[in-house]
Amino acid sequence: MTFLLLLLPPLLAAGLAFIVRSYRPLIGWINALFALVSLSAALGLAGQALAGGEALTFGPGQFLRSDSLSALLLVCVTAIAALTLFLSPGLGRTIGYTDTQLRRYHLFINLLLFAMLLAVVANNVGVMWVAIEATTIFSAFIIPLTLTKSSVEASWKYILLSSVGIALAFAGTVLAYLDFVALGGEAQNALNWPVLRATAPMLHPEIMRLAFIFLLVGYGTKAGIAPMHTWKPDAYGEAPAPLGALMSSALLAVAMYALLRWKVVTDAAVGGHYADNLLLALGLLSLGIASFSLVLARNYKRLLAYSSIEHTGLICLGLGLGPLGLFAALLHLVNHTIAKALMFFLAGNIERRYLSTLMENVRGLLKTMPGTGVLFAAGLLALVGLPPFGLFVSEFALFRAGFALGYFWLMGAVLVLLAVAFVAFIRHLNHMLYGVPPAGVTIGEAGNWRNGLLGLGLAVLVVLGLTLPAPLMGLLNQIVVSVAR
Amino acid sequence: MPTLFAQLSTLLSSLVLLFGITLLWRRSLHAYVDAFQWQSVTLSIVFATVAYFTSNPELYVVAAIFFVLKAVIIPLYLNRLEKQVGERPESQPYVNIATSLASAGLLVVLAYLITYPVVRVSLLPTRGGLPLAMGLIFIGLFAVITRKQALTQIVSFLVLENGIALLAVLGTFGVPLIVELGVFLDVLMGFLVMQVFVYHIHGTFESIDVEQLNRLKH
Amino acid sequence: MIGYLLEIAQAALALALAPLLVGFVRWVKARLQNRRGAPPWQPYFELGKLFGKEVVISNNASWLFRFAPYLVFGSTVLVAFLVPLIVAPLPFDPAGDLLAVIYLLLLGTFCLALAGLDPGTAFGGMGASREMTVAAIAEPTIALAIFGLALGAGSTNLGRIVTQTLSQPGVVISPGHLLAFAALFIVTLAETGRLPVDNPATHLELTMIHEAMILEYSGRYLALIEWAAWLKLLIFLSLLANLFLPWGIATALTPAALGLALLALVVKLAFLGTFIAVVETRVAKLRLFRVPELLGVSFVLALLAIVSSFLMR
Repeated sequence: MTFLLLLLPPLLAAGLAFIVRSYRPLIGWINALFALVSLSAALGLAGQALAGGEALTFGPGQFLRSDSLSALLLVCVTAIAALTLFLSPGLGRTIGYTDTQLRRYHLFINLLLFAMLLAVVANNVGVMWVAIEATTIFSAFIIPLTLTKSSVEASWKYILLSSVGIALAFAGTVLAYLDFVALGGEAQNALNWPVLRATAPMLHPEIMRLAFIFLLVGYGTKAGIAPMHTWKPDAYGEAPAPLGALMSSALLAVAMYALLRWKVVTDAAVGGHYADNLLLALGLLSLGIASFSLVLARNYKRLLAYSSIEHTGLICLGLGLGPLGLFAALLHLVNHTIAKALMFFLAGNIERRYLSTLMENVRGLLKTMPGTGVLFAAGLLALVGLPPFGLFVSEFALFRAGFALGYFWLMGAVLVLLAVAFVAFIRHLNHMLYGVPPAGVTIGEAGNWRNGLLGLGLAVLVVLGLTLPAPLMGLLNQIVVSVAR
Repeated sequence: MPTLFAQLSTLLSSLVLLFGITLLWRRSLHAYVDAFQWQSVTLSIVFATVAYFTSNPELYVVAAIFFVLKAVIIPLYLNRLEKQVGERPESQPYVNIATSLASAGLLVVLAYLITYPVVRVSLLPTRGGLPLAMGLIFIGLFAVITRKQALTQIVSFLVLENGIALLAVLGTFGVPLIVELGVFLDVLMGFLVMQVFVYHIHGTFESIDVEQLNRLKH
Repeated sequence: MIGYLLEIAQAALALALAPLLVGFVRWVKARLQNRRGAPPWQPYFELGKLFGKEVVISNNASWLFRFAPYLVFGSTVLVAFLVPLIVAPLPFDPAGDLLAVIYLLLLGTFCLALAGLDPGTAFGGMGASREMTVAAIAEPTIALAIFGLALGAGSTNLGRIVTQTLSQPGVVISPGHLLAFAALFIVTLAETGRLPVDNPATHLELTMIHEAMILEYSGRYLALIEWAAWLKLLIFLSLLANLFLPWGIATALTPAALGLALLALVVKLAFLGTFIAVVETRVAKLRLFRVPELLGVSFVLALLAIVSSFLMR
């Protein structure tokens, strides 16, 4: 029942947006309320996961399944989705989009949400793949909401790269299934996670090794791990701010979820540190490329994209550092989800006022938009990893995991790269916050509930930085234990 | 002496791979679409062959859907798109044709090396075709990377997907039906989206040469 | 003793059949183009005419010009001794195998190219350079394609390859075999100067390759060179026929088997000749810079043939 409450609202919202020919703001509000329904369903599933016991399943052949990992991700995705839908264009604020554009936006963003939720609760590996491919398709419709040369270019690169990546992920899935069929014969639910996990030790290591490489490259393209990250700056730079928020936080989380599930199966089949080493290598590469790109960035939305790659690299590193690292990585995922989403919304505010995404055109943010400016500064400091925000805690946990396993040089390199990123960020922030605002930019910003929502998000980040709430801690511990089993 | 099933499947897989190599040889978009069409027809025959020898009626359905989707509908759309968007032949791709062909040979050798551990432990009668499928995946990937026009990039991507489908049918005799249906749906939707984008590219750039897409840098 | 006699008879038969084969191909092409065409034995009359004519040589030609026709003819006849046309295995087999065959053919090509350059005419030089371009890419492909077969048979001895294929009929539909056949067919078109690589009937500057090299020749020299070119076509087609579809070849030296083998060879050659005529009528000549692409395809096919027969053993 809870599953239906989770998955149906986005579908209904999309249907509503499709049926009503000319867009009305009421539709936007209804969609936002539907998202709240999904959020409560997700919280319910999380509660049931915390209560312990067997994972919840639903549907013929255990089609949908929600264990602690799924529940955690569901809460993240639905929370950000609700925020996004409340802050979407067309909800009573004058934005420069036409009615058809708004209709298309609301239709596809709800379909995107549905696909993401399905990917996280699907028990079948193949269905998860289908859902993740669907997210590529749906998001590609909204990136070029206004058809300019840059946005068309960005969406073309995005869709081509993502499709190739997802196709390779399917090849990896097929390779894993190949071995499975050879051992156990076909069965309708043979591709379910618990079954895969249980038979993993009997699979041939050589085949799983090859399969994992394909899966890493494939889902890594979707997550934006270097060297498959080249679509990210373009896509995030051109997408409308709410889509950027949803993609950079929730979609990234879904892609990392897929990787984590497959890593568990691979570890059981191959053993040793094969998957760990691959993840460490790619994580370090992502971190390196992102840190130096941050220095060269000239566009603040692309800056956020590079920051996203950097944090993806950190999460990958965490995934490769054993149980302690896994805890750190998941905590980092939660924190990053909140922080990045906030930043994109704020970037949207800035873009609407300054009418430019180039950092050199944005000056004197504190004078022109004090509320946004303060929130932006706080968010950027959070992304850098300063206390008292949550990202500091998760990065600290990451270092702890690394040193516990004896990877001194690796952690040293990570520290240096984070310092490079830090310097780049502060330099850009200084440039944007202070100075004389360019001509033609109105001064002053009225307080409104939207910025209030964003401030609430920031407060959550602070809370996560100061303490670790018991439910979250409980969920994370449950996940680590179930993965290590 | 390998069984008839093994020989037939290997033979058909070689044919599928050869049509993929044709992609690196020809220049005009029309030839690309033709090669893809023939490849899809041969691939549906592979599906039907596997269905026959493994007595799996589900695969016949999959073969039929595959044929309709990839040998009829998609080439139809591609040809229509080509008429509307421009039939200028692919100017020299990033890697010239002779080098592309030599690389194709090397990629197939690489594919054999990579799938050697898989073939060694597999007991399937169709394991001879697995390296060929992997080779087609590599060749499709190579073609996507080196093409300069959006439409030829799309066809190369479709060839890559054909390679993966070949891998699936040879290695697992078909994934469960629901996944197969989902995959088809995704392929169709993905293709339609790409088609829409080619229109947009043509509309905003007045050409579908991907080299024009160079505005977004640092 | 009988074996050696048979060898000589086989070479003589090849020499005798070559003009008929070429005439047959021309006749089929004419019929396909809705013409009546000259009868298939017309080339014999051409040879007779040429042998009777006077030889005219440029003042700038050297001894090479006079020596080349004999060398080309001699090397091609030598190849006819080594190729299994009717009987396999042959007594001369240990002396010549795959590599010898390829390099004898290449010797002929090389000499002809030099002879084209010798008189110092423009056409000759042009033809020689074009021929060398084609030969440079085609020779490794022949080697690779037949090497793929040799890997399966365990020896580069052509006779051994034939007998090996006879003993394992199922190998004929293996991908390695078919790929090698495709590669060898494309190379045949290139080496014997057939469309789409070279037009054997043209004398236009833009399109000649083989014809350009021999433009200066006349009389008995021209006759020898033409005969050698036709013999080359026969050798290539018999290689295609007997290496890939060896049934009919005589392994015993009985008259019945020999008769059957002769009949089988004629049928296979007729079939392949018709196929070539059809291909020539269907395709247009490739522009010269496209020829390496076509030969590149045949190279890849040969490479794949080796890979699939080697790595799948």
